[in-house]
Amino acid sequence: MSDSRPALTKDSVTRRGFLKVTGAGVGGASLLTMLAARQAPAQIKGTTLRILQWSHFIPAYDTWYDAFAEDWGKKNGVKVRVDHIPHLEIPARMAAEFAAGAGHDIIYNGSSILTRLYYKNLVDLTDVADTAAKKYGGWIPSAKSLVEVEGRWYGLPIFYILAPMLYRKDLFDQNNLKAPDTWELARVAARTMKAKGHPTGIALAQCNDANLMWRSAFFSFGGTEADPSGDHPTLDSKELREFLKFAKAIFDEGMTPEVFSWDDASDNRYLASGIACWIHDAISAYRTTEDTNPDVFKNVVLGLEPQGQPGKRVSVAAPNVWMVWKFSKNQQAAKEWLAYLVDNDLEGMVQSRGYNMPYLNDRYKKPMPVIGSDPKLQILQDFPKIVAFYGYPGPSTTPIQEIVNTFVFPDMITRFCRGQSLEDAIKWGVGEYRRIYGKYKQA
Amino acid sequence: MTLSTSSGGPDAASARAAAVSITVRTRPRRWFRSQAARRLGFGYLLLAPAVLYVLLLVGVPFLFSIYLAMSDATVGDTNASFIGLENFRAAFESDVFYIALRNSVLFTVVAAIFKGLLGTTLAFLLLRPFWGRKVIRGLVVIPFTLPISISVLGWKWMYDSQFSVINWFLSQIGIIGRYGSADWPIWLGQPLLALSACIAVNVWRNFPFSAIVLLAGFTSVPTEILDAARVDGTSFVQRFRHVVVPMIAPILLIGLLFDTVFTLSDLGVVYLLTQGGPANATKTLPVLAYQVGIQAGALGRGAAIALFLFPLLLPLMILLLRNLKRREY
Repeated sequence: MSDSRPALTKDSVTRRGFLKVTGAGVGGASLLTMLAARQAPAQIKGTTLRILQWSHFIPAYDTWYDAFAEDWGKKNGVKVRVDHIPHLEIPARMAAEFAAGAGHDIIYNGSSILTRLYYKNLVDLTDVADTAAKKYGGWIPSAKSLVEVEGRWYGLPIFYILAPMLYRKDLFDQNNLKAPDTWELARVAARTMKAKGHPTGIALAQCNDANLMWRSAFFSFGGTEADPSGDHPTLDSKELREFLKFAKAIFDEGMTPEVFSWDDASDNRYLASGIACWIHDAISAYRTTEDTNPDVFKNVVLGLEPQGQPGKRVSVAAPNVWMVWKFSKNQQAAKEWLAYLVDNDLEGMVQSRGYNMPYLNDRYKKPMPVIGSDPKLQILQDFPKIVAFYGYPGPSTTPIQEIVNTFVFPDMITRFCRGQSLEDAIKWGVGEYRRIYGKYKQA
Repeated sequence: MTLSTSSGGPDAASARAAAVSITVRTRPRRWFRSQAARRLGFGYLLLAPAVLYVLLLVGVPFLFSIYLAMSDATVGDTNASFIGLENFRAAFESDVFYIALRNSVLFTVVAAIFKGLLGTTLAFLLLRPFWGRKVIRGLVVIPFTLPISISVLGWKWMYDSQFSVINWFLSQIGIIGRYGSADWPIWLGQPLLALSACIAVNVWRNFPFSAIVLLAGFTSVPTEILDAARVDGTSFVQRFRHVVVPMIAPILLIGLLFDTVFTLSDLGVVYLLTQGGPANATKTLPVLAYQVGIQAGALGRGAAIALFLFPLLLPLMILLLRNLKRREY
């Protein structure tokens, strides 16, 4: 007996295919509808969502965040618990939760972004990221380098922290110094002002600032840390030599050995105390000065990232990313909350006094909240195109995270500034990069 | 003949021996049923919880760390492959490891010397009767009981390059110049000073522990023996060296053992003060292991670095425990 059913052609629809397409369609439409309506589905009601994140530099932000999360929970029938710990403790906590297969549903990464280390155990958040991108004009170019692995997004970038130039306009004007629009002008200013009791400083110790600020200068000099794929280190270059010579010159001429002992808050105090002629730091320094020394504050001005090579500005920022564990029993609620948080990232920017910079293009429509209305801070609105993260121009890979966490880059500069020869310092730094990359290639 | 048999003699002896041997053969007694074996078994039974406790809490983690050190384990993957001694080789390839190893030894030895000196002095001071002694005895342990993060952050402020209260005081009494002068110490920025500063905080935190241990030892020495030594015309130093120290040696050795383990594995002081900087000048093995193993996620290499603490501690432990055992007999 022959089969009376029509033969399958290329355009035919199989039962399995039909179920797949309609299932995906219904699921996707539901999620989009939910996100558009900002209404959670019934299945997350009665669940508990546990979030682990850092203690923000602006405590008011944490107060707002906790209340905001609780409020969202009440509206959606989800019990939300937010725990805050210092950001340096996050990697240890993350390792412990992964080993135990239990803990929080959502975990935050700050500065040290461990997506590539854990992605096999993280929930794919591509759908949430795509929805946000469609709604808000796409992500800024550097965002995906933090969270994308094999074409999928395993984390959701919510905000990053910028580090502009902060300089004393009164001192610059009194000494006929030009605004530090290039690193060379910044050096001239530091040299001139150190002699008058107002040196500058960028941390050369083992702290986040040392990793961030010196990389901004290096990348602006045309240097790179890895190739665009992130697989090969590219540190060893003539740009590195030029940059190191510059770093040594600016240290000798415009800084004091204090920078060898600094932590992430030292430059804030340096500016607020009225000593520094300029610093290169997050706007926490601006806020600290505003709160503690109004006389200095009124003369502090922010500048765009200085150029190293003509026209080349790269600003290395501290990224902040949220991830959802695969072991979470409440992944749906976690996704809902993160989508809601992205929708409200501008409110987060307000609550953090302009500290949190969003990753979505449409958010940069001028005037932005807080920074758009403060004449001194308006320059921050021009940063998203030049923002980069560790591993530039490649992604934030696992070897780069080890290099960052063991402070290889600032240590190489420190060695040269402390008297080691240029070639020895480079040999050590490049050697460490190759050794660390080599370990991961072997693995 | 009969008499001879009853009173003994060669024949009687051989007959008794035969009788004994027959008895043994007919009623064999296994060793494990003997009184001695039962007592031994009961002893082991009583010991078992302690052995199990040590095995579970010390043995298993130790073996697990060896397993990690010989694998390519990362913090983000449950699968790990055996790679032999590769992680140890990786440690030897890095000059930061040698710096950390040197600093760990230096840190432990120098801190132990200062804690010994200060602890002994403090113990003697607290031994003497004076008004408010009990309160003072309570107060001196405060550094030891304070949470490490709080106390070390306090020190971080005191070592601040700009606002150091230590520098301010030294400047006020004319030992150093004003802020910005060439002789203004940058405590956490100059390699030797930074390491010394870390050691000083460790000493400050832990010397009260040494003092309390010594104080407990001193008070256990019978005053009659000290009086007798005094009557014999011994000096204070002679009494301390030839009477007190031998009598409290077990306490001293156990205290030294604890202190060495705590100091060598101290992560908090260095991590919170300098994170190992400047340029690894204060990096110790625990800090390096934490940075590589947890923060960077290379668990296998971190475990290998941390395991280097074991051969450092082992000879000292063997020496101290042998010494203790010898004193028991």
